[in-house]
Amino acid sequence: MAELEKPAVKPSTAEDPSRKDQASPPPESPAATWTRRCIIIAFWSVVICLGLPHWIWTTSIHRSDLPLETMNSWADGKAHRFQYPLSIRIDTTEKDHESRAALVADLTKKFQQSSDLPLYDINISPGHYSEGFLPEQEKDADLVVYVDNESKSPQQASLRPWAPVLDVQPGHAGPSAASEFIFHEIVRAYADEQRSLSHLMSDSPFVSDKGIALTADQKTKLDARTTRAFKYASMYHLTFSLFSASATPSAWDIDVAMQQYLSPLLRQLSNVSRFTVDTQVQLHAAFSPSIAGPQFDQASGKWHLQKTDLSGFVNAAEWPLNPSIGAGPTINFVLYVPTKDQSPLEIAETGGTSWLIPQWGGVQIYNPSNKQDSALSADDLEAVMLTFADQLTALVGLPPSPPSLTLRLASMTRERTTSLILSASSTLGALSRLTLKLTSIAIPNSVAKSVDETIARLEQACLDLREGRYNNALANARIANDEAEKAFFEPSMVGQVYFPDEHKVAVYVPLLGPVAVPLVMAAVKELLSLRRRKVKST
Amino acid sequence: MKLQPLFALPATLLPVVFAAADPHAAYTEHLDLHPLPDGHLYAGFNFTATTSHAAYEAQHFRYFPRSLAQILQHTRTAELHLRFAFGRWDDESWGARPRGGRREGGTGAELWAWVDGEEDHPEVLEERWGGLVNSLSGLFCASLNFIDGTRTTRPVLSFEPEGTHKHGNEAQLLHGTLPHEVVCTENLTPFLKLLPCQGKAGISSLLDGHKVFDANWQTMAIDVRPLCNAKGEDCALEIQQTVDMVLDVERSMRPSHDPIPRPLPIEQIECDTSKEYHSDDTCYPQAPSGAPGWSLRKVFGQPINGNCDLESADATPNYPITLHVPADHPVELLSSASLPGKEEKMNLGSTIIHYPLPPHPHTFDISLPPHPQPPEPRNPPLLHATRHLTGHGLDPPILTTTLSNPSLSKNLTLTYLDTLPWFLRPYIHTLRLQRLSRACGDSAELQQLFYTPARDRERGSKIELLLHLPAGCTAQLSYGVEKAVLRYAEYPPDANRGFDVAGGIIKILPDSLLDEQVNNDSKREAASYLRTPPLLLPLPTPDFSMPYNVIILTSTVLALGFGSVFNLVVRRFVLVEEVPAAGLPTRLRDAVRALKLRLSSLGGRSGVEGKAGRVAGGTTVAG
Repeated sequence: MAELEKPAVKPSTAEDPSRKDQASPPPESPAATWTRRCIIIAFWSVVICLGLPHWIWTTSIHRSDLPLETMNSWADGKAHRFQYPLSIRIDTTEKDHESRAALVADLTKKFQQSSDLPLYDINISPGHYSEGFLPEQEKDADLVVYVDNESKSPQQASLRPWAPVLDVQPGHAGPSAASEFIFHEIVRAYADEQRSLSHLMSDSPFVSDKGIALTADQKTKLDARTTRAFKYASMYHLTFSLFSASATPSAWDIDVAMQQYLSPLLRQLSNVSRFTVDTQVQLHAAFSPSIAGPQFDQASGKWHLQKTDLSGFVNAAEWPLNPSIGAGPTINFVLYVPTKDQSPLEIAETGGTSWLIPQWGGVQIYNPSNKQDSALSADDLEAVMLTFADQLTALVGLPPSPPSLTLRLASMTRERTTSLILSASSTLGALSRLTLKLTSIAIPNSVAKSVDETIARLEQACLDLREGRYNNALANARIANDEAEKAFFEPSMVGQVYFPDEHKVAVYVPLLGPVAVPLVMAAVKELLSLRRRKVKST
Repeated sequence: MKLQPLFALPATLLPVVFAAADPHAAYTEHLDLHPLPDGHLYAGFNFTATTSHAAYEAQHFRYFPRSLAQILQHTRTAELHLRFAFGRWDDESWGARPRGGRREGGTGAELWAWVDGEEDHPEVLEERWGGLVNSLSGLFCASLNFIDGTRTTRPVLSFEPEGTHKHGNEAQLLHGTLPHEVVCTENLTPFLKLLPCQGKAGISSLLDGHKVFDANWQTMAIDVRPLCNAKGEDCALEIQQTVDMVLDVERSMRPSHDPIPRPLPIEQIECDTSKEYHSDDTCYPQAPSGAPGWSLRKVFGQPINGNCDLESADATPNYPITLHVPADHPVELLSSASLPGKEEKMNLGSTIIHYPLPPHPHTFDISLPPHPQPPEPRNPPLLHATRHLTGHGLDPPILTTTLSNPSLSKNLTLTYLDTLPWFLRPYIHTLRLQRLSRACGDSAELQQLFYTPARDRERGSKIELLLHLPAGCTAQLSYGVEKAVLRYAEYPPDANRGFDVAGGIIKILPDSLLDEQVNNDSKREAASYLRTPPLLLPLPTPDFSMPYNVIILTSTVLALGFGSVFNLVVRRFVLVEEVPAAGLPTRLRDAVRALKLRLSSLGGRSGVEGKAGRVAGGTTVAG
C-alpha cells in the first residue's frame, strides 16, 4: 500500500515542514511525468483496443438474426385470418335453365344473408345432372348436390358414403321450400366441422369474432377427440399384434382379414397420409404386475377387468411393442386372447371388450368360442378388424360426422391444416420469446434457416387455404410445423448453457487479476495526481 | 475322423424345419447338456425360427421377431451375425468348442453382416451399416453404436455367407468388434424377447440372467440367413438364436438365499493324505474327483416349464433335450408327466439320451447323482492358439500368436484375421512365421496376405493371412507394432485401464474345400472357428487436469512478468533517504502512540518503553 501511494503523496511531502529531518526526492521533471503518462495510456489502449475485442471475439457466441417481428405477428395471429372457401355445385334434373339459375341465385342469397356458416366462403355454381359420378368430377367442387325433381318420393336428403355427393329429393314442395331444404341440408353437413374448427381456434390468438359459441358439452366432446388423435404425420405405421395368454392361438389369418376389412379404409385415408402395416404374434403374454388383474364374477360366470386396470393393461415391459423404424408414429392394435380358464373376459362396468388408448392405439379382448383352435380364421377376425378400423379412424383424427367418408376426409384435411398452422405459429412465438429471454444461448444458422422456411411455408399454406387447395395447404402446413419444431428443439442451442461466462472468467483469473491490479492502480494514481495538480493550479 | 455328434446336430435339425414347411413358418428349439471334466456342465441352447420370404416382405411375423426383422428390412441387411461373449473356453481340459466355434464370438460384442450395396457407392453402404449398428444397439441395449468407421473392416477370407444369396444381388460383408463391451443381463432380456415363448415356456425358461452370467464361459449368438432351394426360388428367412455356456456345477448349485461361498466344515473336506505334512490338524484339500451330482432345478434355479411346441398339429413328437452321459451313469427323470427319453448308445461307452418335453403347465427336470468317474472331455480340439503382446516401456511391442496343430496326421489350412485399432500401427515388414517344432518342416508357410493399412482416426488396420500348418507343427506368427499418441479428448473414461484389442479370428478350412472336385454346395463341410482372447494395451495416459494447470501456471508467470515490467516502466526511483514517510503508516503510528499514551495515563505506568519500541520499529520504510 505504502509503495503504491508514494507518487501521490510525494508532492505534498516536499513542502511538509514537519519532515525536515528527511531528505526529500528531487522534483520530477515534467518530461518524466509526461513519459509515465504516455506509458500508462499506451498500456491501457492496448488493453482496450486489442485485449477487450479479442476477449469478446473469442468468447462470444454466434447468434443469427431471426425475423422476430414476423414471428411475433404469426404468434399473435395477425398474419392470417382463417376463412375456408367451399365450392358447391348444384346439379338438378330440371331442364329449364332459368329455374336452375333461380335456385342457385336463391341459395347464394341465403348463404350471404345467413350467419350459420360464418367460417366459410360459399360459392354456388350450377351444373349438369348425370346419373353416375365420375371420380374426376370430385375435383370440380367440394360438394355436389344432386337435386332430383322428378322423383316422386317424399322430401329427403342423403350423403353418399364414398363420394362428396348430397342426393336431395325435394318432393312436391315448391321451389322456395326446396331451396330452403337444400340450404339446411348443406348447413347440417358442415355444422360439425365448423364447430370443431372454431374449437381449435378458440384457445389461440387466431380466434375470430366470427367463431361460434360452443356449449360445455360440445367442448368436452371436441377436447376428447383432439386428445385421442395422433398428431398429424404424413406416414403412420400400423402394428397389429396378437397376444395369447397361453400357447394357443398361435396364428391368425391376418393377411386375408386385412385385405377384406381394412384395406378399403386405408385406400381412402391414403389421400391424406401413407400407412405401413405389420403384424406379429406373441405367446404366453402375461399381464403387467401393476394391475390387479381380472376378477371372477360369480353372478355372470365371467371374468371382469376393472376400469382402473385398462390404462395399465398393456405390459410395456414384456410385450414387444417397440415403435417401427422410420419416420412417423406407430399406431398399435393389440388383440388379447385370455387363457381358457380366464375366459370370457370383459370390462366390468360396461361388458365391452375393446378400448382405445389415446395417441397410442387400440386394445381388444377376443374371447374364443369353445372350440379352441390353434389359428384364428379371417371370419373370426371380422368383428375384430371392424373395431380396429373404427379405432383407427378415431386415432388418425377423422371426425365422426357427417356420414360421408369423403366429406369426413375433407373435413379432417381442413382441421389438420388449421391445427398445424396454429401449432407452428405458437412454436415460432415460443422461439422468439426464448431467444429474447436467454441472451447467452447460441442461435445457429440452421435455426434461422428453419425459421425462414417455416414462415415461407406458413404463407404458402395460408395462400392455399384461401384458394381452396386443401391438400397442398396440409402438405405445406406439415412442413412448416416440422421446421418450426426443428428450430425450437435444435440441440446445439442448449449446449452453451453448460459453459457460462463465469467459468471462462474463473479459468483466466490468475492472468486477469494480477495484470489488472497494477494497471488499475497506476491509472488511479495518475488520475489523482492530475486532479491534485489541477486543483493546485487554479 | 471320430464321430462328432454335437456338430452333426444343427445339420440334422434343418431337415425337420423344412419337413414342417407349410409356408415355411416353423419354430424348433434344442438344448444340449454335456457334463465336462472338473465339475463343469456345458449347456447349449438353440432356437430356430423361419418365415417365408413373402411373409417377411409383407411384414406378417409369426415366429420371426418383428423388431429385428424391421431393422433388417430398413437397413437392407441380407444376412446378420451378432455375438455377445465373455469368459474363456478351456480347450485343454474340455475339448473341442461347441458347434465348431461357428456360434461363438470374441469377448465383448461382435457383429458381421452382409448388407446390400454397390461397391461404387460406399456412402450408401456406410449409411446402412450405421443404421444397422445403431438400431441393434438400441434393441440389445449394447454399445454397438460405437462400431464406427474405425472399428469396421471388410474381411476377404475369414467369413463366408451361410445362407443362399440371390445372384445379382451384391451384398457386401462388413465386420465390427467391440472387445470392451461388458455382456450382462440387459443384453439377455431383449434376446429372450425375440423368442416366441419369451422364456416363459420351453427350454428358454432355464435362461435366467443370474445363472447365465455366472458362467465360466458364455456366448450368445443371433444368426439370420436367407435359405432358398437349389433354383433360388421359394426362399425363407431363418433366425438362429444360440446361447452356449459352461457352468461350474458346484458354484451354480449354491442356494439362492445364501450365495456367499463359505469354507466347508472341516469334517466335510476330503484331505490329501499323501502330503507329508498331513496330520490331524493339517489338511490339504483334495482336488474334487469324479462328477458332481446335479439336476436342472439345482443348476439353473428352476426346472423347464413345459414345452414351447407351437406346431400342435404335428404328430411326430419332438425331442428337444439331448443329454450326453457315460453309459453306466444313471439318470433320474423327475417330472411325472413326461415320457421317458430315447437312449442312443455311442461308441467309447457314452450314451446320448433324447427327452421330449411335457405340455406347458407341467415341468420337466432330470437329476444325475454324483459319480466317482469324471466325464470324458469332448473330442480334442483341432488347433490351439494363444496371442500376447511383448515389449515394455519404450520397447516397440511385438504381437505374437502361437498356433499349434495337436493332430498327428491332419494338416490344417487356416486363415487368420487381426483387426487392430488405428492407434496400433503394425510394421508389416516384420511379419514372420517362426517354426517352433521340427514337425513343421518347410510346408508351414504363409500363403496369402491381405492387408488394409490404418488411416489415423478414420479406419483401423486389417491383416488377413492364409497359412498352412502341417500335423504336429507349432508355429509362431509375430509382427511389430507401434503405439500412437492419442489426443486429449480421444481417451475414454477410465483411460488408465488400457485399451482392449480384439482377439484374432482363426478359421480352419475344412478338407473338402481344398479338394476342388468336392467343392459343391451340398457336400460342403462348414469351417470351424477359433478366437484368441482379447489383449489389453496400455497406452501412456495424460493427466486430464493438465490443460487447466497449464492455463493457470502460464497465466501466473505471464502476470508476474507483466507486473514487474510494468512497475519498472511506470515507477519513479529515488534514494531510500529520500523516501517520504507514507501517509497511512504515519497516521497509524500516531494513532497507536496516542492510544498508548492514554492507556499509560490510565494505568499510570510503563509508557516510556513502549513508545521507544514503536519509534524504532517505524523508521524502516523500504524504497
